[in-house]
Amino acid sequence: MIRGTAVLVAHSLKRIRGLLVGLGLMLAAFQFLLTQVAAYLVRQSAFSQLSALIPDFVRSAAGPSALAFMSFSGIVGLGYFHPVVLTALVSVMITIATEPAAEIETRFVDLTLARPVARFAAATRTIVVLVVAGASLLALLIAGTWTGLSCCAPAGVDRPSIGMLLSLTVSLGSVMACWAGVALALAAGAKRRAVAGAVAGALAFAAYLLDYLGQAWEPARSVSRLSPFHYFQPMTIVMGGSLSGGNVAVLLAIALAGAATGYVVFAKRDV
Amino acid sequence: MTSDAAPAIRLDRLTKRYGRVAALNDVSLDVQPGEIFGFLGLNGAGKTTTIRILLDLIRPTSGQAFVHGLSCQRDGLRVRERVAYLPGELGFYRDMTGEATLDLLGRLGGREVDRRALLDRFELSSRDLKRKIREYSTGMKRKLGIIQAFQSAAPLLILDEPTEGLDPLMQEALYQLLEETRRSGRTIFMSSHVLPEVERVCDRIALLRAGELVLLSPVAEVRRLAARTVRITFRDPVPPPRGPWPEHSEAVEVTPRLWHLHVRGPLGPVMAMLSSLPIDDVDVREPHLEDILRRYYKEGAGS
Repeated sequence: MIRGTAVLVAHSLKRIRGLLVGLGLMLAAFQFLLTQVAAYLVRQSAFSQLSALIPDFVRSAAGPSALAFMSFSGIVGLGYFHPVVLTALVSVMITIATEPAAEIETRFVDLTLARPVARFAAATRTIVVLVVAGASLLALLIAGTWTGLSCCAPAGVDRPSIGMLLSLTVSLGSVMACWAGVALALAAGAKRRAVAGAVAGALAFAAYLLDYLGQAWEPARSVSRLSPFHYFQPMTIVMGGSLSGGNVAVLLAIALAGAATGYVVFAKRDV
Repeated sequence: MTSDAAPAIRLDRLTKRYGRVAALNDVSLDVQPGEIFGFLGLNGAGKTTTIRILLDLIRPTSGQAFVHGLSCQRDGLRVRERVAYLPGELGFYRDMTGEATLDLLGRLGGREVDRRALLDRFELSSRDLKRKIREYSTGMKRKLGIIQAFQSAAPLLILDEPTEGLDPLMQEALYQLLEETRRSGRTIFMSSHVLPEVERVCDRIALLRAGELVLLSPVAEVRRLAARTVRITFRDPVPPPRGPWPEHSEAVEVTPRLWHLHVRGPLGPVMAMLSSLPIDDVDVREPHLEDILRRYYKEGAGS
């Protein structure tokens, strides 16, 4: 059982190593670039000027987060919740999580599961690959931040603490895990990867919009609790707040429920 | 619990339905250890469905399947330790090399046999194996599929359309391999619709039609039950016999210089009748499995 899982994990990681390395380096470079931008703004004393440029109605609507964001730490932390970064990471998680559907679609599963390999092992493989890939990408993101801070942070600037960066990483990792779980549950029952991936992607997009709507429009606030992104609160961390264990628990609970559903569905279905 | 006395494969009232459509309906059969069993039927007859149930890739609606006495559903892992499989549709990753594919599948399988000998037999060189599968021809992919199945030392080989896409030389190489495999005591369960191939290599056959088992018999028995074709040409014009034709024979075409008969059973009575006639030539053709099975197929098409 363990041998079969290990062989499949090695195979899957080998197949996506280019994607992981490429995206990981891009994320690290993006994060490095953000520290350069933040350092430039500090050197130019531009944060106070930028804050002054924010109209009052925006300042009151955004609350203290607008001012928190207009800081060295705020800009450096941006890479941990920027929509492009979020989209890239969630997309990779969905891509990896839908591998079982891809193997059914291409009939590769006929070659692997016709051997003494349990379906449990195939599902476990996907989870292990998700964890390894997610952890690797987040590690490269942190490496980009660390490199940028080490080499180019201006002296005396208020740097983001390790605790803040780790909290942002855990928060981002939780939302990645959540969508990986959802995608795995969908892929376990799907015949085509594109269908599972598209449904998971559409759900993520709709959930993101719902959360955005909830933040911008009071009547939608209660409904936005249905969105997993409601439990992804990086600005709170950037503003100096602590990581909400409850939020992480909700996101990880969705991830676990998705994984469990994936196991059950994949074990019972015709492949 | 496995048993030496258990059939290599047992299907017990196996049924698989997709909604209202019955892909398999109440199919029961045994395959004995050491035989080559041909599983025949037109496309969509239920051959691949049966095979996929044996491998626990799909689950039956009712009935059971066993391999060496082990339930394919309850003891799927132990069953698959005893099975090597060549799928009809080969889902190789096109961007992997042949070698990487064989290595991966070998690591997932059980004990391996000498792969080099198989590669030589099917004329796949080390250079071929270093190439990506997307560069392979259909025949090369098939050869790779055959090698990945035969590189396992499993006692039961399940082959779905094994010669599809192979050239005649490679087909011959496969037939020889099948024969050697049988001699080594392993069992082969192969689906096919290439009837001459089945006739040549199989000990017994089962024929599926629209998910139902319509024939289960040794190949020799099927052939024996079928009519031989006898064509008699005469030097001089001969009138048809005044009485009935000899027992077990029927006239297909009768002209003054040619009689064309179908004879089921011994030829003696026909030869006795011909002894006094001016015979020029007698051509006796043994029945081909293809002729017989075609009839079953046609009945299905007409029903």
